Amino acid sequence: MKVVHSWLKEYVGEALPEADRVEELLTFHAFEVEGTELVGEESVIEVKVLPDRASDCLSHRGIARELGSILNVPLQSDPLTVPITLPSTDKVSVAISDTNACPRFTATLFANITIQESPQWLQQRLLALGQRPINNVVDATNYVMFALGQPMHAYDADKIPQVDGVRHLGVRFASAGETVSLLAEGGKNEDRVVTLQGTELLITAGANDGPIGLAGVKGGRFAELTPTTKHIIIEAAHFDPATIRKTARRHNILTDASKRFENAPAVQLPLYAQQMIATLLQDIAGGECQGICDVYAPKAALPPVTVSVATVRRLLGLSLTASEVEQFLLRIGAKVTTIQEGVFSVEAPFERTDLVGEENYVDEVGRLHGLSAIEGVMPTAVPLREINSLQYYSDRVRVALVELGFSEVITSSFQKKGEVQLQNALASDKSYLRDTLRSTITTVLDTNHAYADRLGLTAIRVFEIGTVFHKTSEGVSEHVALTMGVRTKGNGYTAKDDVLLRESIVALEAVLGVSGEWQLEKGVAELHFSALVASLPVPTAYHPFSKQADVTYQKVSPFPAISRDIALFVPANEQVEIVATELVNTAGALLVRHTLFDTYTKEGRTSYAFRLVFQAPDRTLTDDEVATIMEQIYHVVQQKGWEVR
Amino acid sequence: MNIPRGHQHPITQMITEINSIFSEIGFVFTEGPEAETEAYNFDRLNVPKDHPSRDMQDTFWFKSTDVLEPMVLRTHTSPVQARYMEKHEPPIRIIVPGKVFRNEATDATHEAQFYQLEGLYIDKDVHLGHLKGTLEYFFSRFFSGKTEVRFRPSFFPFVEPGVEVDMRLLEGNGKLVGKWIEVMGAGMVHPNVLRGCNIDPAHYSGFAFGMGIDRLGVMKYGVEDVRDYYTGDLRFVNQF
Repeated sequence: MKVVHSWLKEYVGEALPEADRVEELLTFHAFEVEGTELVGEESVIEVKVLPDRASDCLSHRGIARELGSILNVPLQSDPLTVPITLPSTDKVSVAISDTNACPRFTATLFANITIQESPQWLQQRLLALGQRPINNVVDATNYVMFALGQPMHAYDADKIPQVDGVRHLGVRFASAGETVSLLAEGGKNEDRVVTLQGTELLITAGANDGPIGLAGVKGGRFAELTPTTKHIIIEAAHFDPATIRKTARRHNILTDASKRFENAPAVQLPLYAQQMIATLLQDIAGGECQGICDVYAPKAALPPVTVSVATVRRLLGLSLTASEVEQFLLRIGAKVTTIQEGVFSVEAPFERTDLVGEENYVDEVGRLHGLSAIEGVMPTAVPLREINSLQYYSDRVRVALVELGFSEVITSSFQKKGEVQLQNALASDKSYLRDTLRSTITTVLDTNHAYADRLGLTAIRVFEIGTVFHKTSEGVSEHVALTMGVRTKGNGYTAKDDVLLRESIVALEAVLGVSGEWQLEKGVAELHFSALVASLPVPTAYHPFSKQADVTYQKVSPFPAISRDIALFVPANEQVEIVATELVNTAGALLVRHTLFDTYTKEGRTSYAFRLVFQAPDRTLTDDEVATIMEQIYHVVQQKGWEVR
Repeated sequence: MNIPRGHQHPITQMITEINSIFSEIGFVFTEGPEAETEAYNFDRLNVPKDHPSRDMQDTFWFKSTDVLEPMVLRTHTSPVQARYMEKHEPPIRIIVPGKVFRNEATDATHEAQFYQLEGLYIDKDVHLGHLKGTLEYFFSRFFSGKTEVRFRPSFFPFVEPGVEVDMRLLEGNGKLVGKWIEVMGAGMVHPNVLRGCNIDPAHYSGFAFGMGIDRLGVMKYGVEDVRDYYTGDLRFVNQF
């Protein structure tokens, strides 16, 4: 929600600090703030109103009230405390077919309207919010919505059929297949016909209840304003939030109105909105309000909430006094009655539909007081009640397999084919859940073998411990699988892979003290790990954790690596580290790995064979570049008196 | 020739470390299903049906023909709170590290699957100060330096009051030192959630928190793209 600083000031008064301080107050007492931008002369603050406060704070008055509570100042001007002075009229009638779906519908009739441009001040405020001014009447409805959070709609009253001088409006559910022609986005002159399913609420007109708008979502073309419109009807209603939400989502018409209606603004708001727009239209459109038709089926008011100071203290960890708690409750505009020492009966101001339980008031007190006052307290240490077998044995497996040269991967749970398909997949190649880790482990082996030199490995060894999913008569079942894979050759599986894999499985089983039912095929072996863990003894303590030295990760270069081998004869007493350091220093930053792959000593000389891997972080290396580096290496090696074989 | 040691994935390394830090103060490592019922993933956590707060987490759904009741890939580890509370009497101290799923476009800071860490502490007289103390203890250990924590107001349906948690490392010379960083959502367990698990909110209270483990790794190791965790690329894994 964007709010204009000067607009807030109109309600809060001179006590309102500058925009940067407003940001800070909101951040630590109410809502996150995205930032402030200057639009023309106006400071516009972007507030991320929390979902529970979308009922009252998608409005300038709501944010202003919040700031007043935080600053502990009463609002200088509060549009929700003005007296409602609109006379009632019998020139408009409203029939509501379902008062659960529409508990309130108000319609005001205006005469002598002159449609024209809005005055500058109004245009500026709308522009500051990123809204395009349209004409004085439409702008006024938008203005009131941004002021109070109550969406409104204007109809050309002369297009509403009259019976005996009465303009008849209605609210009813659509019938399936019925259509309604809606106003286009951004004032475009085009028909936008929506075919309805029957769950949508419609605004209708005339004796035949023909649709003139999609209730709470978008107005229709039928009674659209024109430059010559003289009489208008302004709607301010209250609809069932879930109905509006479903309609907006089903037809993908998300509007400022639907966003507010689906968050249950107060049912009292329509009257205040009508009062505000009546004054405004008189000023900017010459409109004379003929009166209001208010059809309202009030629900029983929520009972007051009992708030005990003991609960407030117990949950916040703050030692507040009863009178301090009372003061905070008064600051939000609640009515507070003391029932007994330290226990209050609290009635929320009508616009705060979010305040329904004691916990909500605890939250109010906490944030108004300031959460920074809460001191950290360590819970008393207690002995660990239980050791988790899956975690314990997963860790045992990880430690054992890492010792055996296996690296752990975590791969995607989604795949192209499988048993269990998702209702709403991310992409067509990710529409199934994996029922085995086998295929992703095979892919991981394929991919990584190409990096073997870069990794300094002759064989790729990987494992994963992860959840797999199956379809059963009982629904979808899941278990944890342990899958290992070995790949020695780049062009795919060879029989040697299985031999190495079997050796590793034997070694792993020796550590665990149990043998499992492995499904071994083509260099990949999988085990029902959940079942294996269930068969193992219940652990009594985790192995002590030893903190590793800090690792700072380097982004993997997406560019290919180039390998070169070099074998050297050096005097038998020459340390391999000395030789390696010489190579590394000469090769420079493009050398990303060196691996000693062969050593032998003969006739007083030692031969060291290294594989050197070159890679650039920002480009594909050329053979020429690498050849130049190798020439430098040969040169240095010769100077050292070593012999390149 | 000797086989060089392999490497443990940074996510599971972090989970092992997290578990060691929390087990010292009695938090029990707990798990739950990744294929979760709608009831546990939302309803039991006080997330009303047809309510905008369900939009906070875009959800993968199972096909209705495959399941006996509506099921989702869990969007958070929070359902395990309810599952554990139903079967255990307070005092309760658990952590739940696990994989979660969100149906959203992926980029360097968002993956459709990632790891979350849930924490829950229910006892008599547990308050927000305990949450702060526990988190300061955890971050100080995890980031190897004294760390302070601050709260900002926030909203999650399953807690009230709900807070956003920022942390600031006070010591050392790493990139994190001295900066406030938003790390997680937390709060006091909503009485509706407690009541739903037959725990009387008049006698017991508790805190819950949830944070992304992937994000902890971004801070701890400097991982730049969270998608790198799940590529199976050993050029990534073998750095850890």
